[in-house]
Amino acid sequence: MSMGSSMWGRLLTCGRLSIGLLSFLSASGMDNGGQWLGVQFPADSPVLFVSFNMGPSTVRPRGVSMALDLHASLMLRNVGNKPISGLTLRVEAEDLKASGKGSVIMPSLNVQPGQVFPVRIDMELLRPFNVPKSDSALVQVSLDCALFADLSAYGPDKLHSRRALLVFELEAKRDRRYLTKLLDDDRLPELREELNFGLQDLNPQQLGLELLRAPSPDSRGEKPLSVSPVSFRSSPVQPLRGAAQVVGNEVRGPRVEVQNISRKAVRSIGMGWIVRDDRGREFVAGSSPSTLDLAPVATASMVELGTLRFSRPTGQPMMIGALMAFVNDVEFADGKLWIPSRSDIEEATSDPVLRRELASSPEQQRLTEIYRKKGMSGLSEELRRFASGSN
Amino acid sequence: MTERASHPSIESLALHSAGDMPLIAGWRMRYHVAHCAECERQVLLFRSATAELKREASAETLSGFEAIADWASLEREMIGNIGVGVDAARCIEGVGSRRPLAVRFALIAALLLLFAAGWITHIPNEQTQHLIATLRSFTGFERPVPMGTVLRSTPEGIAVRTQGATLTILHPRSAVVSLSGSSAVAARYVDEDTGQVTIANVYGQ
Repeated sequence: MSMGSSMWGRLLTCGRLSIGLLSFLSASGMDNGGQWLGVQFPADSPVLFVSFNMGPSTVRPRGVSMALDLHASLMLRNVGNKPISGLTLRVEAEDLKASGKGSVIMPSLNVQPGQVFPVRIDMELLRPFNVPKSDSALVQVSLDCALFADLSAYGPDKLHSRRALLVFELEAKRDRRYLTKLLDDDRLPELREELNFGLQDLNPQQLGLELLRAPSPDSRGEKPLSVSPVSFRSSPVQPLRGAAQVVGNEVRGPRVEVQNISRKAVRSIGMGWIVRDDRGREFVAGSSPSTLDLAPVATASMVELGTLRFSRPTGQPMMIGALMAFVNDVEFADGKLWIPSRSDIEEATSDPVLRRELASSPEQQRLTEIYRKKGMSGLSEELRRFASGSN
Repeated sequence: MTERASHPSIESLALHSAGDMPLIAGWRMRYHVAHCAECERQVLLFRSATAELKREASAETLSGFEAIADWASLEREMIGNIGVGVDAARCIEGVGSRRPLAVRFALIAALLLLFAAGWITHIPNEQTQHLIATLRSFTGFERPVPMGTVLRSTPEGIAVRTQGATLTILHPRSAVVSLSGSSAVAARYVDEDTGQVTIANVYGQ
């Protein structure tokens, strides 16, 4: 009995000490917000940060880790002489620097020289208490790439974000042109359909993803599944056939054979993936750019390593019924990019839901939101603003 | 011995009548009674009373014996009563020993519930999953998975987890999550405040 009470006493003392230590750490962190977030831009950067507001950022213990909740609002200024069309900020945590990082991409910008614009970064960092902390900030934000209206770029591009920004910008121009055409031709019913009739419920379908970089060591239960190609008529690279191993809601090592049917050498291909669940619903799972030197008429295999696990937004596993692949974008050896046109997308499938998913670009999502909030006049004004900016 | 005016006491005469006097006192009493008519009469009265009592006593014993003449039935009844008594004793013993055991079980269950509630509310799910995976691996139910970087989407954000640390870029629940590379996951949403489309990414290497 006395041993029990002395043990409880020790445990209580340890608990009190831990709480005290955590309170001290929390308090010291609160007093030193600058140690949490560091913002670095090169001196010659066309974008400089004017100020940042930490907002309701907190730090608290969670289990054996410290949870740092950061809600930063950066005010950036275009100090260059060219309009900025897109921007990527790199987000690096000191504890994950070697093997993990994040980024925030702002496509479809139209920031004129001298203009100030906001960028919000909401994040959470969970780090074990036993990891030693250096003097530098726990989270570093820096410029990775800025894309200008003339499609030139600035930045170290460590995350290969220039290519992504270029694809987004080309898609944005394509979609603005298409919607402007519908508006000019007074094809309002089609325009409303393109913009989901202003209904929020028709936004792109959601799914949950988990990507495990290491290949699964357990091959039990794996079933081979053929990958069906979805072709765009004008695509310089065509998917031929493919295969993957599927276990329940996991897709392992999907591979697609592609052929360059153009006369130009290809440097990289963005391969898009469509997943059909066991209920027959199709989701565009995203696209994955891969560097691939592909001469004219040549064929090659594109392989995704690792395991991709799908789930519904509620967290339930999503059983894989079928897998399809399409070429989302192609980068030629001369640096030029190809993306599918609206007519390519129209012709690719007779399924209106899948067609809507394939046409859902970041710019289309932004314009749909403007139409939902401001109506046809707001959309028209926004399209004119970009048209005048590009002239 | 207290004697009435040279006569033995009533008690001594009663003892003498039943032959219960000591040897020497009995001789002296016999001598006196043989020469005293009054004491002799008293001794006779005692003897007749004793004989009457004996007779009545034997008559009563016989009537009681007659009442229990069905011995086999009585035996069954007695054995039955004894059995009931033994069972009752066992029941009482059981009640006494089980009650503390139930209380102990209830206490252990309450502590386990408290521990589980504390674990659920305080320990992140990913750490629980990690612990379960470790236990499964330790007990041989699951082959050990090589440690690597995991990219994962949750309703609140997209996360990259490696070496025990996790970086989550938070997004609204309306965000559309997609694959954005062989080692990247993206979440696309329109910022409610600025109306600007934003794409958050996490990368693993």
